[in-house]
Amino acid sequence: MPGLVNREFFNFITGDAPTRFGLWSMAALVLAGGLARLAGIVGIALTNVQLMYRIAALLQKNMLGRIFQLPGASALDGSAGEAISRFRGDVDEARRFPLRVNDWIASIVNGVVSIAIMMWIDPYITLICLVPIFAVTGFVYVLRMRIAILRKAARDAAGNVTGFIGELFGAVQAVKVATAENSMIEHFGTLNQQRSRTALRDRLFDQLMDSVFRNAVNISTAVIMILAAQKMRSRSFTVGDFALFVYYLPGLAEMTWMFGSIFARFRQLGVSFDRVRKVMRDAPMEDLVEHGPIYMNHDEPPVKQPVRGEGDRLERLEIRDLTFHHPESGRGIDGVSLSLVRGSFTVITGRIGSGKTTLLRALLGLLTKDRGEILWNGQLVEDPASFFVPPRSAYTSQVPWLYSAPLRDNLLMGLSDADVNLDEAIHAAVLEEDLTSLDQGLDTMVGPKGVRLSGGQMQRTAAARMFARAPELFVFDDQSSALDVETEHTLWTRMFERRGTEAGQTCLVVSHRRSALRHADQIIVMKDGRVHATGTLNELLGRDEEMQRLWRGDEEPYPASQPPAPGSFGGS
Amino acid sequence: MPSPPNRVREMLSRYLLPHRGLVGSLTFLLLASNGLQLVTPKIMGAFINTARSDSAMDEVMFVGFLFLAVAIIHQVLAVGARYVSERLAWTATNQLREDLAMHCLRLDMSFHNKRTPGEMIERVDGDVGHLANFFSQFTVRILGSLLLLVGVLAVLYLDVDWRVGIAMSIYAIITLFGLAVLRSVAAPAWNEAREANAGLFGFLEEHLSGTEDIRANGGEANSMNLLFHHAGNRLRTERSASLKNVRLWGSTTGFHMLGHLIGLGAGYMLYPDRMSVGGVFELIWYTEILFRPLERLTREMEDFQRAGASIGRIDELRRRSTNISVQPGAMGERTTLETSGALRVTFDEVTFGYNAEDPVLHDVNFEIAPGRAVGLLGRTGSGKTTISRLLFRLYDVQQGKILIDGMDIRAMEPASLRHRVGIVTQSVQLFRGTVRDNLTFFDASIPDAHIHDVVDSMGLSEWFAALPEGLDTLLQSGDGGLSAGEAQLLVFTRVFLKDPGLVILDEASSRLDPATEARIEHAVDHLLAQRTGIIIAHRLATVARADEIVILDDGRVVEHGARAALAADPASRFHGMLQTGMSELLA
Repeated sequence: MPGLVNREFFNFITGDAPTRFGLWSMAALVLAGGLARLAGIVGIALTNVQLMYRIAALLQKNMLGRIFQLPGASALDGSAGEAISRFRGDVDEARRFPLRVNDWIASIVNGVVSIAIMMWIDPYITLICLVPIFAVTGFVYVLRMRIAILRKAARDAAGNVTGFIGELFGAVQAVKVATAENSMIEHFGTLNQQRSRTALRDRLFDQLMDSVFRNAVNISTAVIMILAAQKMRSRSFTVGDFALFVYYLPGLAEMTWMFGSIFARFRQLGVSFDRVRKVMRDAPMEDLVEHGPIYMNHDEPPVKQPVRGEGDRLERLEIRDLTFHHPESGRGIDGVSLSLVRGSFTVITGRIGSGKTTLLRALLGLLTKDRGEILWNGQLVEDPASFFVPPRSAYTSQVPWLYSAPLRDNLLMGLSDADVNLDEAIHAAVLEEDLTSLDQGLDTMVGPKGVRLSGGQMQRTAAARMFARAPELFVFDDQSSALDVETEHTLWTRMFERRGTEAGQTCLVVSHRRSALRHADQIIVMKDGRVHATGTLNELLGRDEEMQRLWRGDEEPYPASQPPAPGSFGGS
Repeated sequence: MPSPPNRVREMLSRYLLPHRGLVGSLTFLLLASNGLQLVTPKIMGAFINTARSDSAMDEVMFVGFLFLAVAIIHQVLAVGARYVSERLAWTATNQLREDLAMHCLRLDMSFHNKRTPGEMIERVDGDVGHLANFFSQFTVRILGSLLLLVGVLAVLYLDVDWRVGIAMSIYAIITLFGLAVLRSVAAPAWNEAREANAGLFGFLEEHLSGTEDIRANGGEANSMNLLFHHAGNRLRTERSASLKNVRLWGSTTGFHMLGHLIGLGAGYMLYPDRMSVGGVFELIWYTEILFRPLERLTREMEDFQRAGASIGRIDELRRRSTNISVQPGAMGERTTLETSGALRVTFDEVTFGYNAEDPVLHDVNFEIAPGRAVGLLGRTGSGKTTISRLLFRLYDVQQGKILIDGMDIRAMEPASLRHRVGIVTQSVQLFRGTVRDNLTFFDASIPDAHIHDVVDSMGLSEWFAALPEGLDTLLQSGDGGLSAGEAQLLVFTRVFLKDPGLVILDEASSRLDPATEARIEHAVDHLLAQRTGIIIAHRLATVARADEIVILDDGRVVEHGARAALAADPASRFHGMLQTGMSELLA
């Protein structure tokens, strides 16, 4: 529009060509054009943002929902960081694409109309001045591949720098005590230099392309000047026409660019969808885009509380021939069978890598078993993952997980405050003293962005979370035990005391600690992924060498180099 | 604290002055490219006038080629300016990054304990990155735009018509202020949107790594609700920010339109009496050019503000100082440690707390003779680890003193003290790099031969030989693809390279597989031979090789004696602990 007005204006003042509008109507046209753009901008802001972020929220909901359906211990394909890049970058690609299509259409329409107007004015000049634009833009478009390479190099180098800063300050104490400050900073300097080199190359190329692109417009302008000179003298090509041509050229260059880029974007979108679906473990496309409520107005639905049904009461749990192998390493468990009855305390023990955690995970459906049966009161459990949840079971994992939220939220994790006896759960987990030392008690922010809890406190918080669910079956992976002897003793004693009451029912614990083993009604010794022996502590210590080794191993790791004081260490 | 402009000036002079050459060439490039931009409309005007007059065709062609030549030179200059400014920015900010990282490394642990590595990345790289934009863009964009603005106005005054010049100057001022005000309204809204974004992805990262715990405890619905909450926040803040932005865009369009109208109006009034067609063309072109620096300037002001905030944070960081200082020793006292041999360690009435009101250690007294190994026992939080931190002067005691070989450690340079004390902790931090880098902390001055000697003396040559590429084997950060035990072997080697006189083992050998455990055994034997040792343990087994036992309870020494004697004494706490640990077996 401004291009046409410019043309009219020059035609008007020079009188080279008849004009349709007076000066005031031209001003009105400029105004109208501006207002139309304004209306467009407001409209786009109102609709686009809604559309984009609703698309993003829906995709993210479906992705996260799917991840929560996958076996919990192997839900992610790579690291959480990798998954995040898909939740962020690839979803961004998807949410922006519809708008890109709009831009594309707009720019094509704009370009086609511009060309039509120019052709109408002078087809000969139009065709010739388009040649450099199309040629150079096409050339730059091809070079774009090179940009991708340079950009990746720059991004990798930048990743090395930030990664190193993270490592450096994550290990700041180690660096200090090693007095390695100077050499670490020197290395940091090397990484910085690598980054600036790659970044410079990237930016320079960027600028070069931009310049070449602009020069395409300049060359076309010069072509018009040279071609039009003759015609301008004869007034068959007016100053107005010239102004219009010059005004339209950048838009045409942009159109050429857009025309190519939309196809590349579409390919990129395909790649993004593939990456997203990989996170979702190749769920059908329909699952990714399935419609559903996304509660954008802080009107989240209440969390459904676990309800204790009739068959939920645990009388007897049986595992038969449970087998699972990790696809990568081939390690796992083979033909594990065991059974536990209501109110019993079962400890699974064994060396590192003997399959203890894998057994718990396969039972709870956190890993998908290769074969085997699980029977709850004699009833076959079809889908362990959805079955072994509160109120039937709850779980404390080897490396306890807390999220950035008040301690209370971490314990409840969606349970209604009214239905839960938090005090009791906290007592059971021996967390009451720690709680008094926290400034804001249960409202203290914990997790990565909150107060840093010690390893032992985190473990007991996770245990309290399990107790708060008052499940029929407690599953506790205690291998990483960060607890000191006395706290641990208290924990097991309290757990043991609750046995047989309505609150504390049946326990399945992985541990190599003596205080746990001592409380066990039944000990299952794992070795190389199989059940090596089953029995009580005294039985096993009497007859099983592996058990004897494990029992000793906890308290006497230096038998050869330094004989223990008589009567205090060892004893076998 | 100096005012913000002073801080900017200080920062600029410290980091830009050393690169005067680059600054100079950048200034030249900017002036030249702006000059060319001002010439372009003149050429266009000349072209139109020549074309419409009866001049020779050659002349018209010449103007056409002149236009092309000027345009291309302008782009070449633009590439040059970009290159120089980027180079300047990277050189200056890399220097700043390194200075800042070094400064932070030297700060006390109380500083680091409050900050996550992620936050440090943001401070050392993120904030400095904003500053890089500032260094490069400020010069190129802001100065460039100002020059162009002044240039265009000057041409309008002098060459076109002074009335046009005045009208356009008023227009420029109004536009500049109008856009700046509107931008400042939108900026906080964008910050909120950025925070909401960070909140959403922070949430996702946390919960994606917790799938095991979430699923097995039925927490999915809770997590989904949190997702809705964060996504809702994002939508709301983005919407409000972009609505505020609409005013800005709208006004930009409005101002642009206004400029166009002024140009057309002025052209109409001045033609043909005072101006040729070419002149009118020039005028309209200049008004178009004028708008570009106006818009750019307001946009850059926003970046400038962000850089201001970053400069503030960087400056705050640089002003922090460590509390650990070297206090001169009493008359003629020696303040450096012997470079070899075992050390004597004395705690004399030591009281210490991470905050002064809340002591973790109360009047702690004990002495370790050179070459002896002491087992330090006590429950979590009893102060064991604190003792090791004090020995490294990561913190200084509040009352009493710590003596090594009879010298107060507060009189020693922390670096010289730390050279003689080694520690092996349970958590092992590895860096992305080779095994060699991880052993030497990237210190290239340590020869491989020395590393091999140490490895041999520890009896670990076999294990090192099994590494796929020896010392050049690449490790990733985190566990480095090593087992926990192997990672600890690396740490043992690190400590050996230092050849310390005091070794602290902080629950060093938990969670190991039997094969590695045997290797570690051997390494520990070597490490403790001829050295003073402190063995910190939650578990009794770990202290089996200690000569003496110190038991801490709530920051107080409640028992200290020879291990064998305490174990044999039924009244001792140590004896009691052994009983809790093993009553059933003994029964």
